[in-house]
Amino acid sequence: MTERTFTLPDLGEGLVEARVLEWRVAPGDRVGRNEPLVELETAKSAVEIPSPHAGVVTRLHVEEDQLVRVGDTLVTFDLERDSGIVGTVPEEAERTERRVRLRPPEE
Amino acid sequence: MTVTPVNAECASTGSAHEEPGGAVEMSMREAINSALHTALREDPRTLVFGEDVGRLGGVFRVTDGLWHTFGEDRVFDTPISESAIIGAAVGLAMNGFRPIPELQFDGFAYPAVDQIVNQLARMHYRTRGAVTMPVTVRLPSFGGIRAPEHHGESLEALFAHVPGLTVVAPSTPHDAHHLLLRSVRTDDPVIYLEPKARYWDRGPVGRRNDEAPGGTVEPIGASRVVRAGRHATLIAWGAMVRRCLQVADLAAEDGVELEVIDLRWLKPIDADGLAASVARTRRAVVVHEAPLTAGLGAEVAALVTERAFRDLAAPVQRVTGYDVPYPAGPLEPRYLPTNDRVLLAVQRTLEY
Repeated sequence: MTERTFTLPDLGEGLVEARVLEWRVAPGDRVGRNEPLVELETAKSAVEIPSPHAGVVTRLHVEEDQLVRVGDTLVTFDLERDSGIVGTVPEEAERTERRVRLRPPEE
Repeated sequence: MTVTPVNAECASTGSAHEEPGGAVEMSMREAINSALHTALREDPRTLVFGEDVGRLGGVFRVTDGLWHTFGEDRVFDTPISESAIIGAAVGLAMNGFRPIPELQFDGFAYPAVDQIVNQLARMHYRTRGAVTMPVTVRLPSFGGIRAPEHHGESLEALFAHVPGLTVVAPSTPHDAHHLLLRSVRTDDPVIYLEPKARYWDRGPVGRRNDEAPGGTVEPIGASRVVRAGRHATLIAWGAMVRRCLQVADLAAEDGVELEVIDLRWLKPIDADGLAASVARTRRAVVVHEAPLTAGLGAEVAALVTERAFRDLAAPVQRVTGYDVPYPAGPLEPRYLPTNDRVLLAVQRTLEY
Protein backbone atom coordinates (compact mmCIF):
# COMPACT_ATOMS: atom_id res chain seq x y z
CA MET A 1 0.00 0.00 0.00
CA THR A 2 1.17 3.48 -0.79
CA GLU A 3 0.17 6.50 1.25
CA ARG A 4 -0.40 9.84 -0.42
CA THR A 5 -1.48 13.16 1.01
CA PHE A 6 -3.33 15.82 -0.91
CA THR A 7 -2.83 19.48 -0.09
CA LEU A 8 -5.05 22.42 -0.95
CA PRO A 9 -4.01 23.38 -4.48
CA ASP A 10 -3.55 26.93 -5.71
CA LEU A 11 -7.09 28.04 -6.42
CA GLY A 12 -6.01 30.85 -8.72
CA GLU A 13 -7.14 34.45 -8.82
CA GLY A 14 -4.90 35.26 -5.86
CA LEU A 15 -6.97 33.20 -3.45
CA VAL A 16 -4.90 31.90 -0.54
CA GLU A 17 -7.46 30.15 1.65
CA ALA A 18 -10.81 28.42 1.63
CA ARG A 19 -13.38 27.10 4.06
CA VAL A 20 -14.40 23.44 4.05
CA LEU A 21 -18.14 23.37 3.38
CA GLU A 22 -18.73 19.66 3.13
CA TRP A 23 -16.66 16.51 2.88
CA ARG A 24 -18.00 14.16 0.23
CA VAL A 25 -15.93 11.30 1.64
CA ALA A 26 -15.27 9.86 5.08
CA PRO A 27 -12.33 7.87 6.41
CA GLY A 28 -12.57 4.31 5.13
CA ASP A 29 -14.36 5.30 1.93
CA ARG A 30 -13.07 4.05 -1.38
CA VAL A 31 -12.89 6.89 -3.86
CA GLY A 32 -12.19 6.88 -7.59
CA ARG A 33 -10.00 9.33 -9.41
CA ASN A 34 -11.93 12.53 -10.31
CA GLU A 35 -14.83 11.63 -8.06
CA PRO A 36 -16.06 14.39 -5.70
CA LEU A 37 -13.80 14.79 -2.69
CA VAL A 38 -14.69 17.98 -0.88
CA GLU A 39 -16.66 21.17 -1.37
CA LEU A 40 -14.81 24.35 -0.49
CA GLU A 41 -15.88 27.96 -0.26
CA THR A 42 -13.49 30.66 -1.29
CA ALA A 43 -13.96 34.42 -1.21
CA LYS A 44 -15.29 34.06 -4.76
CA SER A 45 -17.43 30.96 -4.86
CA ALA A 46 -18.07 27.42 -3.73
CA VAL A 47 -16.00 24.86 -5.63
CA GLU A 48 -15.99 21.09 -5.66
CA ILE A 49 -12.55 19.52 -5.62
CA PRO A 50 -12.26 16.13 -7.35
CA SER A 51 -10.06 13.37 -5.96
CA PRO A 52 -6.62 13.29 -7.58
CA HIS A 53 -6.18 9.60 -6.74
CA ALA A 54 -8.04 6.31 -6.65
CA GLY A 55 -7.79 4.66 -3.29
CA VAL A 56 -9.07 4.50 0.25
CA VAL A 57 -9.42 7.66 2.34
CA THR A 58 -7.54 7.07 5.58
CA ARG A 59 -7.69 10.49 7.22
CA LEU A 60 -9.35 13.88 6.86
CA HIS A 61 -7.03 16.56 8.21
CA VAL A 62 -9.55 19.40 8.31
CA GLU A 63 -13.03 19.53 9.75
CA GLU A 64 -16.04 21.10 8.12
CA ASP A 65 -16.32 24.85 8.57
CA GLN A 66 -12.55 25.09 9.19
CA LEU A 67 -10.31 27.39 7.14
CA VAL A 68 -7.44 25.90 5.14
CA ARG A 69 -4.60 27.72 3.44
CA VAL A 70 -3.07 26.78 0.09
CA GLY A 71 -0.53 24.02 0.80
CA ASP A 72 -2.28 22.72 3.93
CA THR A 73 -2.88 18.99 3.97
CA LEU A 74 -6.52 18.10 3.31
CA VAL A 75 -6.65 14.33 3.18
CA THR A 76 -4.54 11.16 3.22
CA PHE A 77 -5.16 8.28 0.83
CA ASP A 78 -4.06 4.70 0.72
CA LEU A 79 -3.59 4.19 -2.98
CA GLU A 80 -4.83 1.05 -4.60
CA ARG A 81 -1.77 -1.06 -5.08
CA ASP A 82 -1.86 -1.51 -8.81
CA SER A 83 -3.60 1.65 -9.86
CA GLY A 84 -1.92 3.68 -12.57
CA ILE A 85 -2.58 7.33 -13.18
CA VAL A 86 -2.98 7.15 -16.95
CA GLY A 87 -5.22 4.74 -18.80
CA THR A 88 -7.03 1.54 -17.96
CA VAL A 89 -6.79 -1.95 -19.38
CA PRO A 90 -10.22 -2.98 -20.63
CA GLU A 91 -11.54 -6.38 -19.63
CA GLU A 92 -10.78 -8.60 -22.56
CA ALA A 93 -14.27 -9.68 -23.47
CA GLU A 94 -12.98 -10.30 -26.96
CA ARG A 95 -10.53 -12.87 -25.68
CA THR A 96 -12.30 -15.78 -27.28
CA GLU A 97 -14.30 -13.85 -29.83
CA ARG A 98 -13.86 -15.19 -33.32
CA ARG A 99 -15.62 -15.62 -36.63
CA VAL A 100 -12.83 -17.10 -38.72
CA ARG A 101 -12.56 -20.87 -38.77
CA LEU A 102 -9.44 -22.67 -39.95
CA ARG A 103 -9.12 -25.63 -42.26
CA PRO A 104 -6.13 -27.77 -41.29
CA PRO A 105 -3.71 -28.54 -44.12
CA GLU A 106 -3.94 -31.94 -45.78
CA GLU A 107 -1.18 -34.19 -44.56
CA MET B 1 27.78 -9.51 -8.48
CA THR B 2 25.57 -9.64 -5.43
CA VAL B 3 22.91 -12.31 -5.61
CA THR B 4 19.65 -11.33 -4.01
CA PRO B 5 16.65 -13.64 -3.88
CA VAL B 6 13.73 -12.33 -5.87
CA ASN B 7 11.35 -12.79 -2.97
CA ALA B 8 13.43 -10.54 -0.73
CA GLU B 9 13.11 -7.69 -3.20
CA CYS B 10 9.37 -7.68 -3.48
CA ALA B 11 8.70 -8.04 0.21
CA SER B 12 7.83 -4.33 0.31
CA THR B 13 4.91 -4.84 -2.07
CA GLY B 14 3.24 -7.05 0.50
CA SER B 15 1.41 -9.08 -2.10
CA ALA B 16 3.85 -11.51 -3.60
CA HIS B 17 3.72 -15.08 -2.48
CA GLU B 18 6.24 -17.78 -3.04
CA GLU B 19 5.62 -20.48 -5.58
CA PRO B 20 7.13 -23.95 -5.56
CA GLY B 21 10.67 -24.00 -6.89
CA GLY B 22 11.57 -20.56 -5.57
CA ALA B 23 9.49 -18.62 -8.07
CA VAL B 24 7.44 -15.71 -6.78
CA GLU B 25 4.14 -14.64 -8.29
CA MET B 26 3.90 -10.96 -9.06
CA SER B 27 2.60 -8.52 -11.64
CA MET B 28 4.87 -7.27 -14.42
CA ARG B 29 4.84 -3.88 -12.73
CA GLU B 30 6.12 -5.45 -9.54
CA ALA B 31 8.63 -7.59 -11.44
CA ILE B 32 10.19 -4.50 -13.02
CA ASN B 33 10.12 -2.71 -9.68
CA SER B 34 11.89 -5.65 -8.08
CA ALA B 35 14.55 -5.68 -10.82
CA LEU B 36 15.15 -1.96 -10.29
CA HIS B 37 15.57 -2.57 -6.56
CA THR B 38 18.15 -5.25 -7.37
CA ALA B 39 19.98 -3.07 -9.88
CA LEU B 40 20.22 -0.14 -7.46
CA ARG B 41 21.26 -2.38 -4.59
CA GLU B 42 23.95 -4.35 -6.38
CA ASP B 43 25.78 -1.44 -8.02
CA PRO B 44 26.13 2.05 -6.49
CA ARG B 45 26.76 3.49 -9.96
CA THR B 46 23.19 2.80 -11.08
CA LEU B 47 20.73 5.71 -11.08
CA VAL B 48 17.01 5.92 -11.83
CA PHE B 49 15.55 9.18 -13.06
CA GLY B 50 12.77 10.59 -15.19
CA GLU B 51 9.45 12.37 -14.97
CA ASP B 52 7.59 11.50 -11.73
CA VAL B 53 9.72 8.43 -11.02
CA GLY B 54 10.93 9.72 -7.63
CA ARG B 55 8.54 10.98 -5.02
CA LEU B 56 5.43 9.82 -6.89
CA GLY B 57 6.83 6.41 -7.80
CA GLY B 58 5.93 6.64 -11.49
CA VAL B 59 2.58 7.07 -13.18
CA PHE B 60 2.21 3.27 -13.24
CA ARG B 61 3.83 2.83 -9.80
CA VAL B 62 6.72 0.99 -11.48
CA THR B 63 9.34 2.93 -9.52
CA ASP B 64 7.33 2.82 -6.30
CA GLY B 65 9.49 2.85 -3.17
CA LEU B 66 12.84 3.40 -4.91
CA TRP B 67 13.07 7.05 -3.90
CA HIS B 68 12.33 6.17 -0.28
CA THR B 69 14.78 3.28 -0.24
CA PHE B 70 17.73 4.71 -2.13
CA GLY B 71 17.34 8.46 -1.65
CA GLU B 72 17.13 11.31 -4.08
CA ASP B 73 20.80 11.20 -5.04
CA ARG B 74 20.11 7.94 -6.86
CA VAL B 75 16.40 8.14 -7.70
CA PHE B 76 15.21 11.54 -8.78
CA ASP B 77 12.59 13.50 -10.67
CA THR B 78 13.59 15.44 -13.76
CA PRO B 79 12.05 18.39 -15.55
CA ILE B 80 9.64 17.57 -18.37
CA SER B 81 12.37 17.47 -20.98
CA GLU B 82 13.02 14.08 -22.54
CA SER B 83 16.00 15.39 -24.45
CA ALA B 84 17.57 16.53 -21.17
CA ILE B 85 16.81 13.18 -19.53
CA ILE B 86 18.75 11.25 -22.16
CA GLY B 87 21.40 13.96 -22.44
CA ALA B 88 21.97 13.68 -18.71
CA ALA B 89 22.15 9.89 -18.99
CA VAL B 90 24.84 10.18 -21.67
CA GLY B 91 26.88 12.60 -19.57
CA LEU B 92 26.52 10.46 -16.46
CA ALA B 93 27.54 7.34 -18.38
CA MET B 94 30.63 9.14 -19.69
CA ASN B 95 31.54 9.77 -16.07
CA GLY B 96 31.20 6.21 -14.90
CA PHE B 97 27.56 5.93 -13.90
CA ARG B 98 25.08 3.33 -15.14
CA PRO B 99 21.86 5.30 -15.64
CA ILE B 100 18.40 3.74 -15.99
CA PRO B 101 16.36 6.70 -17.22
CA GLU B 102 12.64 6.45 -17.84
CA LEU B 103 10.82 8.20 -20.66
CA GLN B 104 7.30 8.32 -19.36
CA PHE B 105 5.48 7.24 -22.52
CA ASP B 106 6.40 5.95 -25.98
CA GLY B 107 5.15 9.09 -27.70
CA PHE B 108 7.27 11.24 -25.39
CA ALA B 109 10.42 9.57 -26.71
CA TYR B 110 10.36 11.63 -29.89
CA PRO B 111 11.83 14.77 -28.27
CA ALA B 112 14.70 12.57 -27.04
CA VAL B 113 15.46 10.97 -30.40
CA ASP B 114 18.25 13.46 -31.12
CA GLN B 115 20.09 12.54 -27.92
CA ILE B 116 19.37 8.82 -28.37
CA VAL B 117 20.46 8.64 -32.02
CA ASN B 118 23.22 11.25 -32.16
CA GLN B 119 24.82 10.71 -28.75
CA LEU B 120 23.72 7.62 -26.84
CA ALA B 121 23.82 5.16 -29.74
CA ARG B 122 27.13 6.20 -31.24
CA MET B 123 29.35 7.41 -28.39
CA HIS B 124 31.07 4.03 -28.14
CA TYR B 125 31.74 4.04 -31.89
CA ARG B 126 32.73 7.70 -31.97
CA THR B 127 35.33 7.23 -29.23
CA ARG B 128 36.72 4.08 -30.88
CA GLY B 129 35.53 2.05 -27.94
CA ALA B 130 37.06 4.25 -25.25
CA VAL B 131 33.71 5.35 -23.78
CA THR B 132 30.90 2.88 -23.10
CA MET B 133 27.24 3.79 -22.68
CA PRO B 134 25.76 1.42 -20.07
CA VAL B 135 22.37 3.11 -20.24
CA THR B 136 19.02 1.30 -20.14
CA VAL B 137 16.18 3.52 -21.32
CA ARG B 138 12.88 2.29 -19.89
CA LEU B 139 10.03 3.17 -22.24
CA PRO B 140 6.43 2.21 -21.38
CA SER B 141 5.22 1.23 -24.83
CA PHE B 142 2.55 -0.13 -27.12
CA GLY B 143 -1.19 0.42 -26.78
CA GLY B 144 -4.21 -1.19 -25.24
CA ILE B 145 -4.93 1.06 -22.26
CA ARG B 146 -7.45 3.46 -23.85
CA ALA B 147 -5.13 6.39 -23.21
CA PRO B 148 -4.84 9.68 -25.12
CA GLU B 149 -2.54 10.46 -28.04
CA HIS B 150 1.19 9.73 -27.60
CA HIS B 151 0.42 6.96 -25.09
CA GLY B 152 0.03 3.95 -27.38
CA GLU B 153 2.84 3.94 -29.88
CA SER B 154 5.25 1.22 -30.95
CA LEU B 155 8.73 2.58 -31.64
CA GLU B 156 10.66 -0.66 -31.95
CA ALA B 157 11.36 -0.34 -35.67
CA LEU B 158 12.60 3.22 -35.25
CA PHE B 159 15.13 2.25 -32.57
CA ALA B 160 16.07 -1.10 -34.14
CA HIS B 161 17.11 0.87 -37.22
CA VAL B 162 19.69 2.86 -35.27
CA PRO B 163 23.17 1.29 -35.24
CA GLY B 164 24.48 0.95 -31.70
CA LEU B 165 21.18 0.35 -29.94
CA THR B 166 19.90 -2.91 -28.50
CA VAL B 167 16.10 -3.19 -28.29
CA VAL B 168 14.16 -5.56 -26.06
CA ALA B 169 10.48 -6.04 -25.13
CA PRO B 170 9.35 -8.53 -22.45
CA SER B 171 5.91 -10.15 -22.47
CA THR B 172 5.80 -11.79 -19.02
CA PRO B 173 6.67 -10.75 -15.45
CA HIS B 174 9.55 -13.25 -15.42
CA ASP B 175 11.10 -11.85 -18.58
CA ALA B 176 10.39 -8.29 -17.53
CA HIS B 177 12.46 -8.85 -14.41
CA HIS B 178 15.34 -10.73 -15.95
CA LEU B 179 15.59 -8.95 -19.30
CA LEU B 180 15.76 -5.64 -17.45
CA LEU B 181 18.62 -6.88 -15.27
CA ARG B 182 20.31 -8.32 -18.34
CA SER B 183 19.98 -4.90 -20.01
CA VAL B 184 21.28 -3.00 -17.01
CA ARG B 185 24.32 -5.26 -16.70
CA THR B 186 25.46 -4.81 -20.29
CA ASP B 187 27.80 -1.95 -21.22
CA ASP B 188 25.81 -0.98 -24.31
CA PRO B 189 22.72 1.23 -24.54
CA VAL B 190 19.46 -0.72 -24.43
CA ILE B 191 15.97 0.50 -25.26
CA TYR B 192 13.70 -1.49 -22.94
CA LEU B 193 10.09 -1.40 -24.14
CA GLU B 194 7.52 -2.18 -21.43
CA PRO B 195 4.10 -3.41 -22.62
CA LYS B 196 2.04 -1.16 -20.39
CA ALA B 197 -1.16 -3.10 -21.13
CA ARG B 198 0.49 -6.05 -19.36
CA TYR B 199 1.70 -4.20 -16.25
CA TRP B 200 -1.06 -5.76 -14.15
CA ASP B 201 -0.77 -9.30 -15.52
CA ARG B 202 0.53 -11.68 -12.90
CA GLY B 203 2.88 -14.60 -13.32
CA PRO B 204 5.70 -16.49 -11.64
CA VAL B 205 9.09 -14.82 -11.55
CA GLY B 206 11.81 -17.39 -11.02
CA ARG B 207 15.49 -17.26 -10.39
CA ARG B 208 17.63 -17.50 -13.45
CA ASN B 209 20.63 -19.60 -14.22
CA ASP B 210 22.81 -16.52 -14.59
CA GLU B 211 22.02 -15.46 -11.03
CA ALA B 212 23.31 -18.70 -9.56
CA PRO B 213 26.99 -18.90 -8.65
CA GLY B 214 28.88 -20.13 -11.69
CA GLY B 215 25.78 -19.84 -13.85
CA THR B 216 26.04 -18.89 -17.50
CA VAL B 217 24.69 -15.60 -18.75
CA GLU B 218 21.90 -15.89 -21.27
CA PRO B 219 22.92 -14.36 -24.57
CA ILE B 220 21.31 -11.15 -25.70
CA GLY B 221 19.16 -11.93 -28.71
CA ALA B 222 17.58 -15.24 -27.69
CA SER B 223 13.91 -15.72 -28.55
CA ARG B 224 11.65 -18.16 -26.74
CA VAL B 225 9.19 -20.74 -28.03
CA VAL B 226 6.24 -20.19 -25.70
CA ARG B 227 4.01 -22.77 -27.34
CA ALA B 228 5.03 -25.59 -29.63
CA GLY B 229 3.03 -26.42 -32.77
CA ARG B 230 3.55 -27.92 -36.20
CA HIS B 231 1.30 -26.13 -38.71
CA ALA B 232 2.48 -22.50 -38.59
CA THR B 233 4.60 -20.18 -36.45
CA LEU B 234 3.23 -16.97 -34.92
CA ILE B 235 5.97 -14.45 -34.13
CA ALA B 236 5.26 -11.58 -31.72
CA TRP B 237 6.66 -9.52 -28.86
CA GLY B 238 5.38 -7.43 -25.97
CA ALA B 239 1.62 -7.30 -25.53
CA MET B 240 0.92 -9.20 -28.76
CA VAL B 241 2.39 -12.44 -27.40
CA ARG B 242 -0.71 -13.02 -25.31
CA ARG B 243 -2.89 -12.24 -28.33
CA CYS B 244 -1.03 -14.94 -30.26
CA LEU B 245 -1.42 -17.45 -27.44
CA GLN B 246 -5.17 -16.80 -27.51
CA VAL B 247 -5.21 -17.33 -31.26
CA ALA B 248 -3.29 -20.58 -30.80
CA ASP B 249 -6.00 -21.75 -28.38
CA LEU B 250 -8.69 -20.91 -30.94
CA ALA B 251 -6.80 -22.59 -33.77
CA ALA B 252 -6.46 -25.74 -31.68
CA GLU B 253 -10.27 -25.97 -31.64
CA ASP B 254 -10.04 -26.39 -35.41
CA GLY B 255 -7.23 -28.95 -35.25
CA VAL B 256 -4.53 -26.46 -36.26
CA GLU B 257 -1.45 -26.48 -34.05
CA LEU B 258 0.28 -23.11 -33.96
CA GLU B 259 3.75 -22.49 -32.61
CA VAL B 260 4.18 -19.15 -30.83
CA ILE B 261 7.55 -17.43 -30.59
CA ASP B 262 8.15 -14.54 -28.22
CA LEU B 263 10.91 -12.67 -30.02
CA ARG B 264 11.90 -10.76 -26.84
CA TRP B 265 15.03 -9.13 -28.29
CA LEU B 266 14.02 -6.94 -31.23
CA LYS B 267 17.61 -6.10 -31.99
CA PRO B 268 19.51 -8.29 -32.43
CA ILE B 269 16.77 -10.59 -33.77
CA ASP B 270 17.11 -14.33 -33.21
CA ALA B 271 17.21 -15.25 -36.90
CA ASP B 272 18.44 -18.78 -36.15
CA GLY B 273 15.57 -19.40 -33.75
CA LEU B 274 13.04 -18.18 -36.31
CA ALA B 275 14.55 -20.32 -39.07
CA ALA B 276 14.54 -23.40 -36.82
CA SER B 277 10.86 -22.91 -36.05
CA VAL B 278 9.88 -22.35 -39.67
CA ALA B 279 11.83 -25.46 -40.63
CA ARG B 280 9.35 -27.33 -38.41
CA THR B 281 6.14 -25.52 -39.35
CA ARG B 282 6.84 -24.26 -42.93
CA ARG B 283 4.64 -21.20 -42.35
CA ALA B 284 5.11 -17.92 -40.48
CA VAL B 285 2.85 -15.04 -39.43
CA VAL B 286 4.37 -12.03 -37.67
CA VAL B 287 2.08 -9.89 -35.50
CA HIS B 288 2.75 -6.40 -34.21
CA GLU B 289 0.89 -3.27 -33.14
CA ALA B 290 3.01 -0.81 -35.10
CA PRO B 291 1.95 0.30 -38.58
CA LEU B 292 2.63 -2.14 -41.43
CA THR B 293 4.98 -0.21 -43.66
CA ALA B 294 8.64 -0.56 -42.67
CA GLY B 295 7.59 -2.10 -39.38
CA LEU B 296 9.71 -4.73 -37.67
CA GLY B 297 7.51 -7.39 -39.27
CA ALA B 298 9.19 -6.57 -42.58
CA GLU B 299 12.59 -7.33 -41.05
CA VAL B 300 11.32 -10.58 -39.55
CA ALA B 301 9.79 -11.61 -42.87
CA ALA B 302 13.03 -10.82 -44.68
CA LEU B 303 15.14 -12.80 -42.20
CA VAL B 304 12.84 -15.82 -42.37
CA THR B 305 12.82 -15.68 -46.14
CA GLU B 306 16.62 -15.39 -46.34
CA ARG B 307 17.24 -18.18 -43.88
CA ALA B 308 14.41 -20.57 -44.62
CA PHE B 309 13.21 -19.90 -48.16
CA ARG B 310 13.18 -23.56 -49.15
CA ASP B 311 11.30 -24.55 -46.00
CA LEU B 312 8.47 -22.09 -46.55
CA ALA B 313 5.19 -23.41 -47.93
CA ALA B 314 3.73 -19.89 -48.13
CA PRO B 315 4.92 -16.28 -48.04
CA VAL B 316 5.40 -14.83 -44.56
CA GLN B 317 2.25 -12.94 -43.53
CA ARG B 318 2.13 -9.75 -41.49
CA VAL B 319 -0.74 -8.76 -39.17
CA THR B 320 -0.16 -5.25 -37.89
CA GLY B 321 -1.64 -1.91 -37.02
CA TYR B 322 -2.58 0.29 -39.95
CA ASP B 323 -0.57 3.04 -41.62
CA VAL B 324 -2.28 5.75 -39.60
CA PRO B 325 -1.37 7.69 -36.45
CA TYR B 326 -2.19 5.62 -33.37
CA PRO B 327 -5.93 6.18 -32.87
CA ALA B 328 -7.81 7.54 -29.88
CA GLY B 329 -8.73 5.07 -27.13
CA PRO B 330 -12.21 4.04 -28.28
CA LEU B 331 -10.83 3.04 -31.70
CA GLU B 332 -8.05 0.83 -30.33
CA PRO B 333 -9.97 -2.43 -30.81
CA ARG B 334 -10.29 -1.61 -34.52
CA TYR B 335 -6.62 -0.81 -34.87
CA LEU B 336 -4.87 -3.52 -32.89
CA PRO B 337 -4.58 -7.01 -34.42
CA THR B 338 -7.62 -9.10 -33.50
CA ASN B 339 -8.06 -12.85 -33.23
CA ASP B 340 -9.81 -12.91 -36.60
CA ARG B 341 -7.14 -10.92 -38.40
CA VAL B 342 -4.44 -13.28 -37.15
CA LEU B 343 -6.58 -16.34 -37.92
CA LEU B 344 -7.20 -15.09 -41.47
CA ALA B 345 -3.46 -14.67 -42.01
CA VAL B 346 -2.89 -18.19 -40.70
CA GLN B 347 -5.54 -19.51 -43.10
CA ARG B 348 -3.83 -17.74 -46.00
CA THR B 349 -0.60 -19.58 -45.21
CA LEU B 350 -2.43 -22.89 -44.83
CA GLU B 351 -4.17 -22.71 -48.19
CA TYR B 352 -1.44 -21.00 -50.21
